[in-house]
Amino acid sequence: MRANSPTLPPIPAKTGPGRRNRSGPVAAWGLKLGGFLTTLGVFAGTLGYANTHLFVTNAPLRPAAVAAVATAAATSAAAVTAVRSTTTTALTSSVRTTTLPAVTATKTS
Amino acid sequence: MDLFFWEIARASGLAAYAALCISVLSGLAPRTQALSFLANNRAVRALHDWTPWIVIPAALTHILALLLDATARIGILDVFVPFLTTYGQLAIGLGTISVDLLIIVLVTTWFRRRLANNAWQWWHRASYLGFVTMFLHAMLSGTDLTSPVISVLSWASAIGIGYYALERLGKALNPARIRA
Repeated sequence: MRANSPTLPPIPAKTGPGRRNRSGPVAAWGLKLGGFLTTLGVFAGTLGYANTHLFVTNAPLRPAAVAAVATAAATSAAAVTAVRSTTTTALTSSVRTTTLPAVTATKTS
Repeated sequence: MDLFFWEIARASGLAAYAALCISVLSGLAPRTQALSFLANNRAVRALHDWTPWIVIPAALTHILALLLDATARIGILDVFVPFLTTYGQLAIGLGTISVDLLIIVLVTTWFRRRLANNAWQWWHRASYLGFVTMFLHAMLSGTDLTSPVISVLSWASAIGIGYYALERLGKALNPARIRA
């Protein structure tokens, strides 16, 4: 029975056990490297951004000390604005014309 | 020196968020084919198993920098027990919860062989909650999230992960669709 069974053809390398069953081109080490570089890139990029934007005025969180300083600064700024608004000097022309005769004469050439 | 730690804390916080996005996405990908254009499931699984090597350093750097930053006023207890800070209790507390959940997920994964597979799976699902709390922590407390570019990238990655998480949930609830 066994001797009469037909011999199966050899399994092609492309579909055999050693086949490379890939749905994408990147190997595991490539994905790991990509993940590492992405994280590092986000770190470096944000570090650069944070370095140029140290004090973000509309940041959602402020520690108590920073908030107090910010409040004090805002209060003093408001006070300065108030003082400025109350002591504003209005500059108007004080030279007025008159109908009286001239006391001095100006020589004209 | 305080400003140095402050900058490091901000950068490492977003790096930890990016690393967690990669970790969660690579965990979802084998069932959802989210990364099938990039690699096969075995490679994606290898990436997922490796991601603690980027998540842990980034998260530890974020925590250490905040502990060393005197202005932030974060204590050791605040790292593990939520809602104890004197300011931003909800925003910082959510970050604390995400750290706690991260520790739970990592420890249960390391002791996976001692746990029943079903029990480990339930513990591992805490990572979804960990991602959500980390995202909310970033949104409520992230100084750099005020930048439109960073905000859009953060939202886009979160929406992408949310989409694939829902797809994964749908397949889990309806296994007949997988066989079809």
